Amino acid sequence: MITLSHLTKRFNSLVAVNDVCLEVAQGELFGFLGPNGAGKTTTIKMMAGLMQPTSGSVAISSRDIAQDPEAAKQITGFIPDRPYLYGKLTAREFLHFISGLYRVPQAEAEERIAQLLELFNLTQWADELIEGFSHGMKQRLVMSSALIHRPRVLIVDEPMVGLDPAGAKLVKRIFKGLCEAGVTVFMSTHTLEIAEEMCGRIGIIQDGRLIAAGTIKELREMSGAMGRRLEEIFFKLTGEQEMGALIEALRL
Amino acid sequence: MNQVACLLYPKITGFKNRLRAYDRGTVTRLIVGIVLGLGFWAGIFAVFYRVLTYLTGIAGLGDILAAKLLSMVFLTFFSLLIFSNIITALSSYFMSEELQLIMSSPIKVASLYLTKFIETTVNSSWMVLLFSLPVFLSYGIAYHQGPLYYCALPAAVIPFIIVSAALGIGIALGLTMVFPARRIRDIMVLLSLLLGIGLYCMFRYLQPEKLVDPESFRTVVEYFASIEAPTSAFLPSQWATDAVSALLFSARNGALFNLLLLWSTGLAGIVILQRLFEAVYFTAWTKSQEAGSARLAKHTTIKNMLERALARLCPQSRALIIKDLFCFLRDSSQWSQLFVLSAIIFIYLYNISVLPLEKSPFPTIYLQNFISFLNLGLAGFTLAAVAVRFAFPAISIEGESFWIIKSAPFSIRKFMWCKFWLNCLFLLVLAEVLIISSNYLLRVDRFMMLVSSITIAIMCFGITSLSIGCGAAYPRFDVENKAQIPTGFGGLIYMILAIFFIGIVIVLEAGPVYMVLMAQLHRSSLQTPQLVRICIAFAAVLVINALVFFVPMKIGIRKLSELEKF
Repeated sequence: MITLSHLTKRFNSLVAVNDVCLEVAQGELFGFLGPNGAGKTTTIKMMAGLMQPTSGSVAISSRDIAQDPEAAKQITGFIPDRPYLYGKLTAREFLHFISGLYRVPQAEAEERIAQLLELFNLTQWADELIEGFSHGMKQRLVMSSALIHRPRVLIVDEPMVGLDPAGAKLVKRIFKGLCEAGVTVFMSTHTLEIAEEMCGRIGIIQDGRLIAAGTIKELREMSGAMGRRLEEIFFKLTGEQEMGALIEALRL
Repeated sequence: MNQVACLLYPKITGFKNRLRAYDRGTVTRLIVGIVLGLGFWAGIFAVFYRVLTYLTGIAGLGDILAAKLLSMVFLTFFSLLIFSNIITALSSYFMSEELQLIMSSPIKVASLYLTKFIETTVNSSWMVLLFSLPVFLSYGIAYHQGPLYYCALPAAVIPFIIVSAALGIGIALGLTMVFPARRIRDIMVLLSLLLGIGLYCMFRYLQPEKLVDPESFRTVVEYFASIEAPTSAFLPSQWATDAVSALLFSARNGALFNLLLLWSTGLAGIVILQRLFEAVYFTAWTKSQEAGSARLAKHTTIKNMLERALARLCPQSRALIIKDLFCFLRDSSQWSQLFVLSAIIFIYLYNISVLPLEKSPFPTIYLQNFISFLNLGLAGFTLAAVAVRFAFPAISIEGESFWIIKSAPFSIRKFMWCKFWLNCLFLLVLAEVLIISSNYLLRVDRFMMLVSSITIAIMCFGITSLSIGCGAAYPRFDVENKAQIPTGFGGLIYMILAIFFIGIVIVLEAGPVYMVLMAQLHRSSLQTPQLVRICIAFAAVLVINALVFFVPMKIGIRKLSELEKF
């Protein structure tokens, strides 16, 4: 469903994403992990059509995002890490706007908006200006907007940032339900427990290179980590075991 | 003082880093900006120098008129600076995102006040200061001033800027005490009204029509008394005028008194404002964080009407237009500019209506049509100025939400043309209202009415394309205050290009219009060579308009499609 072929992005001398190749199948929930500055958001921006790759390609359901951007975007939902929205629109108006952009028929949009507002507990705020929303409420609104056109692929950058425990639980349930319905979810996260709990396969990116990809079991074998937890595997693969020593040093 | 230096550090370092992190595009932009800026700067100098050398030749009256002109310049700068300081102060003292960090740190309110005072003054005054330099330079050269004048000039201009900033910031603080800054529309209504009234008062104070109509005064003495009278002895702009005039016209004592007046008022303003800020700033800032209410949110009738009116458009364009209209109507920093627009139209038409054409030595019909032609250029310029406020920011107002457009199945080309037509329609109506009503006031003939109506309509497409194209080539998605979008480099480039464009069209049409008018005046018919020249000139006008219609949009679409940082 999602194919990244030799995807590379350079910013002058810095190679932010370096020759990344990856396939994500339909209905799969893929976790994308990596330390800060590893190239997660850059990869995701290229997948969402917000950034042009220096070389390589991104295909969403065989539609190349560079060659046929409108067709690829029509079947994709994107949830960024920072929910910048139009502060002067109400939640309902914003969802109407998005349904217009994705050409959702008027009658269907009305019904879908009501459903999504209800699902994300936003009904009572539906006619309030977004500028007064908290970060978590904006995040829930962005998620509603990403689902309004029933996408076949969902690209998510840090979905749990700013969500309260109830919101986080809801999102987990929604993502699982979407995968069961055949939607492919590509999710970057820093929260290893969430990745471990939700994702069927996980990819780890470091310094722009995809250093590992597979199920938890495959990653464990790859890393040679003795522990069972993803945290240990992650640190082993990314070489950040010295973290414990640093924390100790800070306590002095 | 350490705290002030600490708070200023990110601004100064950020500025230095921006200068250091240059690439080819930045260097090109810088070179183009400098060349165009210098050209504009030289233009201002040339116009003022020409006028002043003419005035120095008029014994007795020349110096008085030069002083009057200087007072007009200072009064205009004063109004601009106050308005600009109010807008900037609202943003930097109350709406800036860094305030969350600063207010949670152990920083004294006095330090915050002083830092923001410096920031507000610099941000809102640098451009006025830059473009005032050729005016003062032309005065210095025309009146053969020595080093004393150039050394004393900053001593008058700096406190003048400080006084204007203190007044603007003080008004902003007062307004936020009454209205929460987030409900800024209320403030902006008041501001716009104040600006409108201010412009009107300034206009009435100056009574420019009387300067060209000495016969309206009963005696020569009365005429002299009228133009010699100061605008108002209590206005800091008059103190600055008097200080500079005293240097220019050899009355050094007057200069010292007015300089002291300016400095003492400026410094007193800073101290008084500091006390006020210490007393009320926290309350005002707390109020500023309240959210506004959603006007029109439940007015389904309006939404349905809009939906019906735009029913023939594709769903994407319809969604974008409805979104833009709602955001415009709810964002006071945008819609309040309609008040400014109304003031501009009012003053524009008033100017036309009071022109003493019947007292001219030229035949009235000739003068009416000649002025109507000049009016075309002026209306074009007004249109360009309105476009820089409304059409130029059309791309940047998407702000950091631009990711929504970029990630949607909506091409940048379609997005840009949608913005174009929405703005073009509005500007076209305005352009025709300006031209037709001013021509009606001038009682011009059918030929001039037709030429100017068609020309302004065609130019309107070019001006809109230029403004949207430049807005896309130089977007400012990160600007907190939408009213500041046109004040950047892109806005400057757009204005200069628009003025060149209007100038070229007017120059090209001047010859043919003159030929037709002369033929009408002499009741003769046009000769074949004249007809050929007219056809060539109008064809050239069409070609230039076509180029200005397509090229900026094409460049804008390309630049915006390539944009990755927003």
